[in-house]
Amino acid sequence: MSEWLESAIARAQGINDWLAPKRADALDLLANSQWPTRKTEAWRYTPLRPVERSQAKVLTDEVNLEPIAIADLSAIELVFVNGKFDPSQLAKTLPDGVSIALGRDLDSAKQTDALNAFSTIKPQRHLFGLVNDALAQDVVIVTVAEGVEVAEPIRISSLLSQSAESHTRVQVSLGAGARLTVIEDVQAQGESLNTAFVEYNVAAKAYLEHYRFALQTGTNVAIGGSHFNLHDHAKMHSSIVAFGSDLSRLDTDIIHAGEYADAKLNAMYLLDNKELFDLHATVEHAMANGTTQENVRGIVADRARAVFNGRIHIHRDAQKTSAELNNRNLLMSDKAEINTKPELEIYADDVKCAHGATVAEIDKQALYYLETRGISRSKAQVMLNFGFINELIDLMPNAALAEWVRPIIRERFAQMDVE
Amino acid sequence: MTEQIDKALAREYEAGFVSDVESETFVPGLDEDVIRRISAMKNEPEWMLEWRLSAFREWLEMEEPDWALVDYPKIDFQSISYYSAPKSMQDKPKSLDEVDPELLRTYEKLGIPLVEQQMLAGVAVDAVFDSVSVVTTFREKLEEAGVIFCSISEALHKYPDLVRKYIGSVVPKKDNYYAALNCAVFTDGSFVYIPKGTRCPMELSTYFRINEQNTGQFERTLIVADEGSHVSYLEGCTAPQRDENQLHAAVVELVALDNAEIKYSTVQNWYPGDENGKGGIYNFVTKRGICHTNAKISWTQVETGSSVTWKYPSCILKGDNSVGEFYSVALTRGRQQADTGTKMIHLGKNTKSTIISKGISAGRSNNSYRGLVRMNPGAQGARNYTQCDSLLIGDQCGAHTFPYVESRNPSAIVEHEATTSKVSDEQLFLCRQRGLDPEKAVSMIVNGFCKEVFKELPMEFAVEAGKLLEISLEGSVG
Repeated sequence: MSEWLESAIARAQGINDWLAPKRADALDLLANSQWPTRKTEAWRYTPLRPVERSQAKVLTDEVNLEPIAIADLSAIELVFVNGKFDPSQLAKTLPDGVSIALGRDLDSAKQTDALNAFSTIKPQRHLFGLVNDALAQDVVIVTVAEGVEVAEPIRISSLLSQSAESHTRVQVSLGAGARLTVIEDVQAQGESLNTAFVEYNVAAKAYLEHYRFALQTGTNVAIGGSHFNLHDHAKMHSSIVAFGSDLSRLDTDIIHAGEYADAKLNAMYLLDNKELFDLHATVEHAMANGTTQENVRGIVADRARAVFNGRIHIHRDAQKTSAELNNRNLLMSDKAEINTKPELEIYADDVKCAHGATVAEIDKQALYYLETRGISRSKAQVMLNFGFINELIDLMPNAALAEWVRPIIRERFAQMDVE
Repeated sequence: MTEQIDKALAREYEAGFVSDVESETFVPGLDEDVIRRISAMKNEPEWMLEWRLSAFREWLEMEEPDWALVDYPKIDFQSISYYSAPKSMQDKPKSLDEVDPELLRTYEKLGIPLVEQQMLAGVAVDAVFDSVSVVTTFREKLEEAGVIFCSISEALHKYPDLVRKYIGSVVPKKDNYYAALNCAVFTDGSFVYIPKGTRCPMELSTYFRINEQNTGQFERTLIVADEGSHVSYLEGCTAPQRDENQLHAAVVELVALDNAEIKYSTVQNWYPGDENGKGGIYNFVTKRGICHTNAKISWTQVETGSSVTWKYPSCILKGDNSVGEFYSVALTRGRQQADTGTKMIHLGKNTKSTIISKGISAGRSNNSYRGLVRMNPGAQGARNYTQCDSLLIGDQCGAHTFPYVESRNPSAIVEHEATTSKVSDEQLFLCRQRGLDPEKAVSMIVNGFCKEVFKELPMEFAVEAGKLLEISLEGSVG
């Protein structure tokens, strides 16, 4: 076990609040966990040295940080500053049927519900998820009542100052037939370390539109997860845009807990310099007639490294499932590296499953074509890269977010060190 | 004729067996002493013993791998006897009447001639005349071409330098748990050397190597194709083979020097155990080849037997322009578990690899493809294409795919595709409409599914492989 984990466990042992039973469970599991090494399958390509070396500390001073404004987006802001929930940034009046509150402030019936639901969607295997279980100081519970369609998105921002350590946790629950959009975002300054986990319970016929932006770069450690539980006829549409950092790791788990659930996930990673990004996307089809479509695309330049693990697990009862996963990667430099592993684990026979993965460089013919039209090589490269990613941006249902992220991506390509 | 028989009998002696210890079977257990005795029994050179001992010491430090998707009780390595002498004639069945009728029924379906049936079932026949003469002409022809094809024990005496140079050069001693164990205790296996520029005049098959019988559970094969040579090697046979040993941990090493080509085909149909998977063979094999410049290694396998299979025939594409191929059909039924696939390690420029894997699961079995394609920084312009298809028959089985793709060269192209589905109702309906019974229809569809792999098999195997699948699928449909 590493010093870092030992100190985390020691700190967690001092916490005694409404989550005590769940924290104790997590600590039990952590005490029996091995610190991941190269031989640990889930961390095979992602060394944890940046965590081991991290000097980030939990800061207690009051700091004022605000999330970046997104043009044309009016959202319900749910802000964490250095791991602490900042109620001052939350709208005074929330739409009918929507409740956002700290777990410890809930009345006892709701608190019991929240306690029972806590950490039931996020699988126990996530080591840093367990750390988050044990250490997240402010756990925010979001509920949307049955049948309520929330027009404004909820934006969960985790903001970190220099060298700060933070562990944030949100639990979102959509009632039957409800509709909600959630945006998750981490904005961190240098040398920081954060774990940010959100669990979503999507009841029957509800619809969740989800975004996760991991655009912080540089000397940060960011480990997080978005975990979804879909009931009968529930639907979700998720878009993930990630840059890399010293260590950036994201786990998504989509569980088809009901029949006829439908999940779409579009993820893209654009890595430069010495960045690392690791996406572990797992889909569990536990029930019949579910559909899943995952599109994951990556561009990796300079000395960056991308890791993708896409697992689709079809359980015995999940007959008539249709699941597809596609991972396409472009390698931009001979120092860059891509490790991808699409996995299928199938125990039901009447299913249609497929996955594909490719790794290549930019299409030379397309590049040549653009050059013959008088476009410089570097510009042509940016255009082609952008086109490759833009196909997924175009699929974002929220126009304001797509418009916001496009120039950021274009800028990133312009700066990429390509040959 | 007597001369030929004498010759055949004498050859066993050449292999280094000393007649007075021949009847000995070791008491179960494994320590350095056992290894010294194996080595002494085979009258091996000192370096070979040292090599075995150092592998054994490495093995003691190693842990049994647990990453494969297979489940079996822990093996007690101390309860295995590491050397058993060939069975004496008295212990063998006297005639085919004493052989399990189920086995005979399968032979019949495969259309195996009576004499060969006796050989396969281990019937005590003084000399199988036809086979002996076949073997003799076979050896003469090979000698003419300068091809060396003998047991590895024989090669250790006759060609020690060749063996010493190449053994362990592709699969190092401590490569993995079972390979290390094999290095320590292997009892026999085949050695092939094809001289420069030679095209081996016939397909080499273990089946025709007369002293093949009882190579034991730790078999070791080493094939060296010198520059510009070509060889096609056939391992195993479609007929189910009797075997008393439950654990098989073989090592196969292939060396294809510049411009050489090795084609290695396997049909594996060992005892899969009863319907609860009891008593079947554990097949934990390490197979790997190294390709030098412009060389090519092609693995083709049809795996239908064993209760647990753990096998990844791989290619190290070291030389520029070298080519690696892997064609596989793996069928599991009953309680069988297979975790099989390949590794293609691209080191050289413009190296190419193709992986076609077809997995069929039926009954309560689990069938996994596990593969690795690695493009190293030097693999300029390298190319890989992988296709893994799985077919599920019945709702109690599993089909899994675990492909690892690692690329560190932007000019290398890797493509991986995998699909899983069941036998399509439309196809079944069409076949049944044409008057085929469901079993025939499924077997036809499965045959079509595997066609891409079957066409890579040498003629001898291709026909039988189809029949083998048909028999294996019996009772799985409906």
